[in-house]
Amino acid sequence: MRGVVIPISMVPGNSVIHRISPLPKLLLAGCVLVLSFSTRNPAILGALIVLGMVMVSVANIWKPFLRVMAILFPILLTLITLQSIAPAFPRPWTPIVSMGPFTIYQEGIYSGVTMVERATSMTIFALAAIMTTHPSDLFASLQKIGMPYVLNFILTMTLQLIPILQKEFTTVLSAQKSRGLKGTGFAAVLPSMVPVFVGAIERVQQLSISLESRAFGSSGAKTSYRSVKVSWVDYLLMLLTTFGTCGLLYWIITDPSLDWSRTLIFAPWLAITLFTLATIGFLIFVIIAIRVVLRA
Amino acid sequence: MSGEKPILEIKDLTFTYAGAETPALKNINLQIFEGEYVALLGLNGSGKTTLQLCINAVIPHMIMGDMEGSVTVQDLDTAEYPTRELAKIVGVVFDNPEFQLSQMSVAEEIALGLENLGVAVEEMNPIIHEVLDIVGLSGLGDRSPFELSGGQQQRLSIAAALAMRPQILVMDEPTSNVDPIGKEEVFAVAAKLNRERKMTVIMAEHEVEVMAAYANRIIVMDHGEVILNGTPTEVFSQLDVLEKAGLRVPQVTEMAYRLEHDRSAHWNSVYPVTTEEAFQRIAPLFGGKHD
Repeated sequence: MRGVVIPISMVPGNSVIHRISPLPKLLLAGCVLVLSFSTRNPAILGALIVLGMVMVSVANIWKPFLRVMAILFPILLTLITLQSIAPAFPRPWTPIVSMGPFTIYQEGIYSGVTMVERATSMTIFALAAIMTTHPSDLFASLQKIGMPYVLNFILTMTLQLIPILQKEFTTVLSAQKSRGLKGTGFAAVLPSMVPVFVGAIERVQQLSISLESRAFGSSGAKTSYRSVKVSWVDYLLMLLTTFGTCGLLYWIITDPSLDWSRTLIFAPWLAITLFTLATIGFLIFVIIAIRVVLRA
Repeated sequence: MSGEKPILEIKDLTFTYAGAETPALKNINLQIFEGEYVALLGLNGSGKTTLQLCINAVIPHMIMGDMEGSVTVQDLDTAEYPTRELAKIVGVVFDNPEFQLSQMSVAEEIALGLENLGVAVEEMNPIIHEVLDIVGLSGLGDRSPFELSGGQQQRLSIAAALAMRPQILVMDEPTSNVDPIGKEEVFAVAAKLNRERKMTVIMAEHEVEVMAAYANRIIVMDHGEVILNGTPTEVFSQLDVLEKAGLRVPQVTEMAYRLEHDRSAHWNSVYPVTTEEAFQRIAPLFGGKHD
C-alpha cells in the first residue's frame, strides 16, 4: 500500500548528491550544525543557507523539500516574534519601537533573524542528506560510525511502523463510518485511538516473537547485509568538509568583527514589518493546521 | 519408522498460561519424525497455537505460565535453550504475515535472520536467491515487504524462516489472513519443501481437504488434549469423534459416510479422504471399466 508517504523520506533520483555515499552527507550535516551554532553572523548563516539550496537544486528535491519547509518555516517564524520582545541576549537591550505593552528590541530582531537562519541552514542540510539517501544505506552508515545495532533497529522499525499505523487508522475510521459513527473531524479520531493502539501493541508482541524466532538477540557476532561503500571521492569530500569547517570555525572564533549585533541596525519600519510578517505567517499556519485537523 | 529417533519429542507436556484457571495443554505426548508433514486440527482455543509455541521455546522463555513435562527438539531441551538459539532448527511462520515483517526490502527481510546468525555477507546473496526461488518470489528482492500481496508476504515469511536452514517448519494457520489464491501458493510451497527437501512440516490449519491431501499425519486437539493422532485415513474415519470435537471431515469422507448409512455401501470403517481416493473406491460401484 502506497499512498501514505512519510514527508521526510528518500526522494528517488540519480543526481551527484544521490550518488555520494551517505557518510560525507551526514558529516556535512553535522558540520553545518556545529557551524551554525557557533556563529550569529547573519551573512555566514545566509551563505550556509545558499549553499544548502544549491545542494537541494543539484539533487532536484525542491518539491518535497518545500513541502517540509512549508510546515517548519512558519513555526520557526515564532522565533522572530518572541525574540523581538524578549531577546535571548545579554542586556542592555536597545528598544526600537514600542507597541502598547510590547517593545521591540534591536537585539531581539537580530537574535530572532539569526536563529531562524540557524535553524533553516541546519534543516536544509539534514533534509538534503536524508532525502537523497536510501533509508537502509542511512542506517548502515549510522551503524558504521558506531550507532548500536539495537538502537538502529528501533529507528528502522519506527520508520516502518508509521505508515502501517496510518493505514490501520484509516481502516478503523472507515469501519466506524460504516457503523454510522462520525467519520470526520476530531470527534472521530479519538475513539479510533484505542483500537489502533491495542492493535499496535498486539503487533509488537507478535513481532517480537517472530524476531526472536529468527535469532534476533542471539549471542555471537552479527553481520550486516547492507554495507556502504566509501570511495576515495567520499574520503576526499569528508576531508574537504572537515578542513572547511575547521577553517570557518577558526575565523568565527578569532574575528570579533563578525559580531554584528550592535552594528547591523534595523530601522523601525523594517523591525515592525519583520515582526508583523512573522506573527501573521505563524497565525495563518495555525489556522490552516486547525482546519486540516478538524477536517481530517 | 520405528527405531528411528524422533526429531521432536513431547513428553507429558502440561501448560497453563499465567493467570489462567485451566491448562491450555493437558498431558501431551507426541513423537514427530524427520520428513513428516503433520497437520494440527482443532477449534480455535483447542491449544494448537500453544503447542506450536512450545516447539520453538517461545513457551516457556517468552510467554509466562506454568509448564510441566518436556519438549525436546533434536536432543535440545527447550527449557534450556531459548527461542533464538533454536532458530537454526525450528523455523516459524505465524498467521498474520504483516506482523512478522519489519524490514525495508524483501532481501533485507531474509537477511535479518542471517545477520543475527553472523553469516558472512558474501554467503547471504546466494541464500537469499535460493530461498526466494523456492517460494517463488524471485526478482522481488528490492520491493518493500509491505507492498506485497498477503500470499506473497506469507511466502516471504516462509523464505525468511527457510534462510536459516531449519529442519522443522512450524506454521500456525499460515493462510488464515490470505486470499484463496494466496492460500494455494502457501500450501504448495509447504508441500514442495516437505516432498523435495524432506522438511518436517507441522501446520495448524482449518482446511481439512488440503490437509487430507498433503499431510501424512493428522493430530486432532480438543480442549488442550490430543484426541486423535494418525494417518489422514485413520483420523478422518473417526467421524463421530471429530464431530464431538466440533470438527468437519473432508467433504468426500462425509459423502462416503452417508453412502454407507443411506445406501449401505461398505467401507469397513476406512473412508476415503481425498477426491482421488474417493473416485478410486466409488467408481467400481457404478460398474464399467476400472483398474
